[in-house]
Amino acid sequence: MEIPYTIETREDTGVNNAKLGIWLFLASEVMLFGALFTTYILLRIGSADDWSQLNDILNVPLATLNTVVLISSSVTMVMSWASLMMKDFKKYKLYMGLTILCSFGFLIIKYFEYSAKFEHHLYPSTNTFLAIYFTMTALHGLHVIGGIIVNTYFWGPGSKMWNTQPERFTNRIEIAGLYWHFVDLVWIFLFPVLYLL
Amino acid sequence: MSLKTFHIFFISLSVLTAIGFGVWLLNENAPVFAVLSFLSGIGLIVYGISFLRKLKHVSFI
Amino acid sequence: MQPNTKSVAQHHDVHQSEHHELSFWRKYVFSTDHKIIGIQYGITALMFLLLGFMFMMIMRWQLAYPGAAFPMYFFIAPIALMGVVVLFITGIKPSVNTVAGLSLVAMAALIWYLGSSDENFPDGIMLPEFYNQMGAMHGTIMVFLGVVPLAVGAFGNYVMPLQIGAPDMAFPKLNMMSYWVYFMGGVTMLISFFVPGGAANSGWTSYPPLSNIATTGQTIWLLGMVFLISSSLLGSVNFIVTIVQLRAKGLSFMRLPFFVWAQFVTSFLLLLAFPPLEAAGVLQLMDRLAGTSFFMPSGLVVSGQILPNTGGGTPLLWQHLFWFLAHPEVYVLILPAMGIISEIIANNTRKPLWGYKSLVYAAIFLGFMSFIVWAHHMFMTGMGSTISAFFQTTTMIISIPSVIILSALIISLWGGSIRFNTPMLFALAFLPMFGIGGLTGLPLGLSSSDIHLHDTYYVIGHFHYVVAPGTIFALFAGIYFWFPKATGRKMNETLGKIHFWGSFVCMNFIFFPMLIQGLAGVSRRLYDGGEQYAHAQSVLYLNEVMSVAAWVMALFQIFFIVNFFRSIKKGEKVSDNAWEATTLDWSATTSPPLAHGNFDTVPEVHRGPYEYSVPGQKNDFTPQHQKA
Repeated sequence: MEIPYTIETREDTGVNNAKLGIWLFLASEVMLFGALFTTYILLRIGSADDWSQLNDILNVPLATLNTVVLISSSVTMVMSWASLMMKDFKKYKLYMGLTILCSFGFLIIKYFEYSAKFEHHLYPSTNTFLAIYFTMTALHGLHVIGGIIVNTYFWGPGSKMWNTQPERFTNRIEIAGLYWHFVDLVWIFLFPVLYLL
Repeated sequence: MSLKTFHIFFISLSVLTAIGFGVWLLNENAPVFAVLSFLSGIGLIVYGISFLRKLKHVSFI
Repeated sequence: MQPNTKSVAQHHDVHQSEHHELSFWRKYVFSTDHKIIGIQYGITALMFLLLGFMFMMIMRWQLAYPGAAFPMYFFIAPIALMGVVVLFITGIKPSVNTVAGLSLVAMAALIWYLGSSDENFPDGIMLPEFYNQMGAMHGTIMVFLGVVPLAVGAFGNYVMPLQIGAPDMAFPKLNMMSYWVYFMGGVTMLISFFVPGGAANSGWTSYPPLSNIATTGQTIWLLGMVFLISSSLLGSVNFIVTIVQLRAKGLSFMRLPFFVWAQFVTSFLLLLAFPPLEAAGVLQLMDRLAGTSFFMPSGLVVSGQILPNTGGGTPLLWQHLFWFLAHPEVYVLILPAMGIISEIIANNTRKPLWGYKSLVYAAIFLGFMSFIVWAHHMFMTGMGSTISAFFQTTTMIISIPSVIILSALIISLWGGSIRFNTPMLFALAFLPMFGIGGLTGLPLGLSSSDIHLHDTYYVIGHFHYVVAPGTIFALFAGIYFWFPKATGRKMNETLGKIHFWGSFVCMNFIFFPMLIQGLAGVSRRLYDGGEQYAHAQSVLYLNEVMSVAAWVMALFQIFFIVNFFRSIKKGEKVSDNAWEATTLDWSATTSPPLAHGNFDTVPEVHRGPYEYSVPGQKNDFTPQHQKA
C-alpha cells in the first residue's frame, strides 16, 4: 500500500509528510545547538578570563570569507530548487554543483583555520574558550559534511528521479534546501558569537 | 514553511549580520571594510526583493 | 460493518498479484513494516528489561548479605534453563521463540562471564567497583533500553498506526533505521562490559567530575547514548508526522484515542528534550578524549593530586543539561503508560472515558510544563533560594495535570460493569501504585523537605513506584491487551492472574520498605546497604525483605514468560475484535498481514473513540468506523 501524502499536500494540514518531518528534525537541531550556545554563555559568564580578548587569536578575515561562501551557497541552493520548478534540469545541475563547490570551499577554509591553530599549539585543551570554539565549529562542520553527502547524492545518482517523478524530486530538493539553510543559519550565529563578541 | 520563506528569513538575518559586522569593524577602526560590509548588506536587501519578485507565484507555506 | 468475506478474499488476491513475496531478510529482519518493527522493539526491549532486572537482583544479593560469597549459579540457572527449554521446544529455526531462547542463553553467559571474573568477584565476593557498574547499567538499561523502547518503540509502532487507520508509518525506512540504531546502541552498551575497568560506573546520571575520570566504560556509555538518542529522534519525527498526516478520513484530533494523544505528546518530549543531552554527551566525550574542561573546575584534587586539566568548567553545567532531558524523560516513561491504561479502562468498564477533553488538555499541559521543572533535581547544589523557589513552584503546578489524569481514570470506573480480566487487573493496580509514586514525590519537590530526603532510599522508592508498579504494570497490561491483535490468540488468563498477583504483592514488598529506609536517612548507592551507619541499624533488616521479594518476583515472571511463548502457538483463538473494543485497531484483521498494509478497505471514521454502551445501539460498543 502506498503511503499517502508523500508528494501531494494534505488538505487540512497544508503540508506533505517530508516537509513536516524536516521541520520537526530542524526543531530538534535548534535544541541541540541551543544547548551548546547556552553552554557557551554559562562558561563565559563563569570564566575568570576575558573572552573578548581570548578570541583575538581567531582569524576574522577567513571567517568573513567563509560567511560569504555560505551565504552564496544558500543562494545557489535556492536557485537550483527554482530551476527545477521552471523545469530547467540543466540549470539545476549547474546551481546544485555550485552549492556543493561552495560547501567544499567552506571546509577547505576551515581546514586552513584549524591547522593554523594546531601549528601554534592551540588545542581544545588549551582553554575553555578554544574548547567550545572547536566543539561548536566541528559539530557545524559535521553538519556541512552531511549536507555535502545529501546534495551530492541529489546532484549525481539521485537526480535520475527527475525523469520518473519530477514533482517528488523537486520536493526532495526543497527539503535538502531547508536543511542546508539551517546549516548556514547556524554559521550566521556562530560567526559573531565566536569571532567578534 | 517553504524554502522560499526560509530563504527570505535567512537573507534578512544575513543583512542584520552584515550591518552588525560593519558596526564591529567601525569599533575596530577599519572604516573601509565597514563601508564594504554595509554595502553588502544593501546588496543583500536588493537581492532579497528581486528574489521575492522572481518567485511571486510560489507558496509561502 | 464487516466487509463480506468474498470481497476480502478478492482483496487478498489483488494484493498477492500486486506484491511479489519479500525475501525472509526483508520481511522479518530488515523490515520496513511498522508491525514487524514494533515486535522487534518489543522483544528486544523485554530482553533488556530482564537483563536490567537481573542486574538489580545481583545488587540486592550484596545489599541483603554484604560480603557474603555470590551464589552465581543460583542466578544463572533459571535463565539458562528457560533459554534451553525454549530452544528445545522450537528448535533452531527463524522464529521469535528462537531469538528469545538464544537471547536468554546469551544473557546467562554474560552474567557467568561477569560473575566468574576475579576483577569483579575475588573469592566470590562482590567488589564495590562492580556494584557501581551494576547500579549504573541497571538504570541505563531500564530507562533507555527497556521501558522507553517498549512503551514508545513497541506499543507506539504497533498500535498507533492501526488506531489512526494508517497503512504504515509516514517514513517506513526511517522507522527501520531507528530500530537498528537503537539495537546498535544496545550492543554498544553491552560491549562496554568487556573493556578494561568494565562498564560505566558513575550512575545512570553520569555526573562529572566522577564520570570524567572514570574508566573506558564511560566513553563507550557515551557512544551508546549517542546511538540511543539518534534513534529516538528519528522515531519521534516519524511518530509526529504519522499522527498529523496519516489520520484516517473523519478522524479529527478530538476523535483520537487517548493512547495516540499520549504518544503524540511523548514524541514532542523526545524530539525537543533529547538534543541537549546529546550536546552534553558530546561535551563529555570532548572532556574525556580531547582533554577539554567543560565539566572540570580548576584545581580539582583526585587521590591527593591536582589534575592536569586547565579547569574553568563547571560540573553543574552537566547537571542542567542532563536534567533538561531527564525530567521530560520521566513523562516519556509515564505518558504512554497512561495511554495504555485509558484504552484498557474504557474497554473493560464498557463506558466512555470520563473527561476525555480534560485528559487531552492535561497531557498537553504536562508536556509543556515538563520542560521547566528540571532543576528540582538540583535543590542541593547551592543554586540559591530564588531559583529553588521557582522550580519548586513549577513542580507543584505540574502535579495538577497528573492528578487530573489519574482522577479522570478513577472516576471512569464509577458505575461501569467492570470485566476483571488480566489486562484490567494490571490497569487497576496501576492507579493506586502511580498514586503512591506521585504523592511521595511531593515532599521531594519542596526544597525544604528535600534537604532531609535527597539522595536517600526514599527517592529510589518514589521513582520506582512510578516506573515499576506504575509504567511496567501498564506495559504488562498492554501486552496482555494487544497480544490477540498481534497473534490472533489470547494469553492464558489463569497464568496471567498468577503473574499479576505475585508481581503486585512483591512489588510493594520491594519498594515500600525503601520509603521507610529513606525516611530513616539511609543513603542510596551504598555498597553495603547502610551496614556501617549507626542511624541505619534499626531499618537494616528491611534489606533482606526487599531482596527476597525481588527474587520471588523473578519467579513470578516465569509465569509470564511461559504464558507469552506458549500462547503464541497454543493460546485460545479469538476473533478480530477480541475485547469488543471501539477503536480502529480492532477493525483491522487479527494479526494484520505483514508488509501488505493494514486494512482491507480504507477506513473512515464517524464518531469518537470511546462510544461504549450507547443507548439505542444493538451492541454495548459502537466502533469508530460504524456509520451514524
